[in-house]
Amino acid sequence: MATGTQIEVVMPQMGVSVSEGTVTKWLKQPGDTIARDEALLEISTDKVDTEIPSPGDGVVGELLVAEGETVEVGTLLATILPVGAVAMEAPPAPAPVAAPVALAAEPVAVAPEPPIGVAPEQPAAVPVAADAASGNGRTFVSPVVARIAAEHGVDPNAVTGTGTGGRVTKKDILAHIESGATAPPAPAPAALAAPPAPAPAAPTPVAAQPAAPPAPAPVAPPAAPLQTGEVEEPMSAMRRGVMEHMRRSLDTSAHVSSAIEVDMSRIVAARAQLKKEYQASYGVNPTYLSFIAKATVETLQDYKWVNAEIRGEKVITRPWVNLGIAVSLEDGKGLIVPVIKNAQDLNLLGIARAITDLAARARTKKLLPDDVQGGTFTITNPGGFGTFHGTPIISQPQVGILGTYALVKRPWVVQDELGQDVIAIRPLMNITLTYDHRLVDGAYSGGFLRDLRTRLEGWEQAD
Amino acid sequence: MAERTYLQAISDGLRQEMRLDPRVFVLGEDVGVYGGAFKVTDGFQAEFGPWRVLDMPLSETAIVAGATGAALMGMRPVAEMQFADFVSCAWDHLVTVAAKQHYRAGTPIPIVLRLPSGGGFSGGPFHSQNPESLFAHIPGLKVVCPATPEDAKGLLVTAIEDANPVLFFEHKHLYRRIKGEVPDERYSTPFGKARIHREGDDIVVVTWGAMVYTAADAAEIVAAEGISVEVLDLRTLIPWDREAVLESARRTSKVLVLHEDTRTGGFGAEIAATVAEEAFEYLDGPVKRIAAPDSPVPFSPPLEAAYLPQIDDVVAGLRELAAY
Amino acid sequence: MAVREAEPVGSLQEVHDVGLDREDLFGIYRSMLTARGIEERGHILYKQGKIPGSFYTGRGNEASAVGVATAMGADDVGCPLQRDMGVHIARGVEPWRIFAQYMGRADGPTKGRDGNVHIGDARLGLHAMVSHLPAMLPVAVGMGLAFRIREERRVAIAWCGEGAAARGDAHEGMNLAGVRRLPVVFVIDNNQWAYSTPAHLGHAVDHLADRAAAYGFEGVVVDGTDVLAVYREAKRAIDKARDGGGPTLIESVTLRMEGHAVHDDASYVPREMFEEWARRDPIDRYRTWLRDTAAMTDAEEDEITAGVKRLLNESLQRAEESPQPDPATLLDGVFATQDELDTPHHK
Repeated sequence: MATGTQIEVVMPQMGVSVSEGTVTKWLKQPGDTIARDEALLEISTDKVDTEIPSPGDGVVGELLVAEGETVEVGTLLATILPVGAVAMEAPPAPAPVAAPVALAAEPVAVAPEPPIGVAPEQPAAVPVAADAASGNGRTFVSPVVARIAAEHGVDPNAVTGTGTGGRVTKKDILAHIESGATAPPAPAPAALAAPPAPAPAAPTPVAAQPAAPPAPAPVAPPAAPLQTGEVEEPMSAMRRGVMEHMRRSLDTSAHVSSAIEVDMSRIVAARAQLKKEYQASYGVNPTYLSFIAKATVETLQDYKWVNAEIRGEKVITRPWVNLGIAVSLEDGKGLIVPVIKNAQDLNLLGIARAITDLAARARTKKLLPDDVQGGTFTITNPGGFGTFHGTPIISQPQVGILGTYALVKRPWVVQDELGQDVIAIRPLMNITLTYDHRLVDGAYSGGFLRDLRTRLEGWEQAD
Repeated sequence: MAERTYLQAISDGLRQEMRLDPRVFVLGEDVGVYGGAFKVTDGFQAEFGPWRVLDMPLSETAIVAGATGAALMGMRPVAEMQFADFVSCAWDHLVTVAAKQHYRAGTPIPIVLRLPSGGGFSGGPFHSQNPESLFAHIPGLKVVCPATPEDAKGLLVTAIEDANPVLFFEHKHLYRRIKGEVPDERYSTPFGKARIHREGDDIVVVTWGAMVYTAADAAEIVAAEGISVEVLDLRTLIPWDREAVLESARRTSKVLVLHEDTRTGGFGAEIAATVAEEAFEYLDGPVKRIAAPDSPVPFSPPLEAAYLPQIDDVVAGLRELAAY
Repeated sequence: MAVREAEPVGSLQEVHDVGLDREDLFGIYRSMLTARGIEERGHILYKQGKIPGSFYTGRGNEASAVGVATAMGADDVGCPLQRDMGVHIARGVEPWRIFAQYMGRADGPTKGRDGNVHIGDARLGLHAMVSHLPAMLPVAVGMGLAFRIREERRVAIAWCGEGAAARGDAHEGMNLAGVRRLPVVFVIDNNQWAYSTPAHLGHAVDHLADRAAAYGFEGVVVDGTDVLAVYREAKRAIDKARDGGGPTLIESVTLRMEGHAVHDDASYVPREMFEEWARRDPIDRYRTWLRDTAAMTDAEEDEITAGVKRLLNESLQRAEESPQPDPATLLDGVFATQDELDTPHHK
């Protein structure tokens, strides 16, 4: 590393008695080229507000002090790297460029079907230069912040820090939570659909364990130099979490996917019948997902191991189903999986209402930390885009995820009243179960899908 | 209720217990005719006579050992070291005999040792020390460090009632400087119960003795900057109110331990370690200590001022923690 | 020097004059035999590995210890030291509890928290010593101070060895007792060796009792192998203190007949010295006196010796049956509670 060639920009002494200054604005970002004497940042001191010119030519390396932060005179603010040296330098940019997110991309990203389409925008953009944290306070998560983050499912890196070096203080994270900003942006790690987040793997009460510090940027080979036209941007904390979780899930579970075709005729009929009533009486839209969720929950009662968890050498089963519904954020900014707690106690209306409620709250950023924790099984629904098949990644530490796909009218062989095969037009849906083959066997999963299909095809509206 | 100085409150408490119980007696150097170097026992000999207010030879060993022997015979001695510094001469008798007698032989040693302590007036290396942590380290001894007149009286009563050797550190700087309302009637202030001297939410300063006032003054200054500081007065070091400290630590998430005793091995280290062990997940910053440096107490005013934790030192520490 | 060297006790009449009847005389003999017997058995237990740590005895000091203890009144108190087994026995401490103490058992007076002769039964007026000799000397002075404050006719005995007499505690305690004329009797067991340090390297005066004059009270030197002489001098001093006459310092001269502790072969003590003092063994000497002067019969002697033997056998067995202390009790009693105070404050 040619550190000897980099230029250091420090907080200047703006007057004899001045001992500190505040960075008010960075005028350049990492990677920007800059010429000697070109303005790099603005500072404010007791005596004067001024622009600070770059002491040399080069490319802006790290920005070590966040905007708004006050530091002592002489504190290192930024580094300027020689133009040619950039590529060889340690990545000045926060997170790796073009990360290997490909993995996460397709399967899990659930495009909700229209009714529940929740696409809250990713709020709380990661503060400037923050991620860049090069060992300064920005990356240090204090014990109490780690604990609160874990309890509330907040990614500390998504919170603007006001402490030393931009560190997120307890006050910062509490204010963040109180503002309601938490939910969408900083979904509880463990709760993300194909859950990102550096959260503890085991669903043990989070309060007990100091959450791990934010997952470090993935270890990647030295970043390739930017080519003309390529754009580099910092990766969001949520994206880093997704990245980590996807990889970890694949490394953990033995993923196998099975698919089954379901004739949704009765569901379509039932929905048509209920839609008006539900809308009028309850303001709730009985989406297809509601029906599938209801049938899934019932079927899980008979297939405990699909709703289970592997904990060490023990298999944990439970009488309840906390059903996660994967939701993608706008523009692929991440995933969130609100959870319907004790879904086994809800009827169709209850489930429909719960989905509507969670969707609405996700949209308005009003999800509570608890809403995204404790899932035991997940449904992801990328069918809204017309996809008819997929292999989602399991949300750890669960062992199964159900994928639902586009509802399409297809010619289908059925038997008429005389027992003769005839071709009919039927609304069909592909449904997949991706399961952890360590625990769930092929036959068991097949039974689950068969029974699920039976429930859906033989739907009798009871309520 | 009457306004009393810290010194008067101690004197009142002692006189009251002596009137109540003939087994309570005072022994020390110059405590009789002269009324004590600081006049805590002024007038006592006239009231209680020469055999309950005993002028002793310059024999700290014999004073503490004598108190121990008398206690074994059912008395309730209240011994005075003229200055807390001189207790080093009686170390053996506190640590070897008094602290261990009940544990090994089953005989309680109900003695109180009054120790005028602390600096701030050019007392130099031998009249300014705060040796409380030395004794807090010895199982079997109790250590009391009142900060207010009301506590001084109430804790002295509890000390005399206690069945164990109690080291009662009276801060000389507070003797005449601090006044407060003190109930006239008899009351006792329990050991091991901290007192919130000032309420606050952002940082807790855990302290005792004269430093309670230093902490409070510093808290007032930073309050103007929007930093809300709680001042927790431990009142007794052995036993110390771990629950109160941990509660405040968990609530505020930032802890500053302040004491006038020297830093290394000071009781603040025990507090800091306990907070780290038991409230780690509630901390939002390092547990900070402000204490005297590891040197003897110097004589010359500028040196002593540099030695003793000052309000400015605490203000700086609070700002640092607040900004962390 | 002002110090008085006590005469030996001779006639039976003289003994009766100081208040001892025949049963008392046999009692003294029984206590001396028991004290030695306990320590002899302790040696065996130690070598059997049943006594942890180290082991100290007072062989040669039996007359001094039993003589003083016999002179104490029922309400008198004191802090005997590691050569003073005879004091515990003469005051009535049961031997089985001493064996239990030796072995660190739950029934020892310190319940295993302390070892050796670091014991004291407060009900018998005895308070447990510490290793920092003579720390208990000024504590005993404090006991005397309490008696003086309350104007009680009680006396405290402060024991000290000739080695520990060099420490400041001895000076401060004696000085205070002298200044206040407290009812305290100081007994310096001068056994001539402080571990390996001979007496002449510990003090420059001819007799430690010479120091008494400097504190303003009487000093007396007595032959510590003559139990009756020790008794007589102790009785005089105690009576005087009880009557307000102030302290006395008794220097009782003996030879420590074994090493400082069981691990010490005492090779630094001249052989002739041991041989000479062996001829003055306090128990042999007293037995001879009892037979020659008090006409102790064979039957009486047999009964005493058999009784002591039986007592020791039974005691040892009982002590060995005593359980080890429960580690769960480790922290019990670090602090006392008010309920434990015999005379609680304000109750």
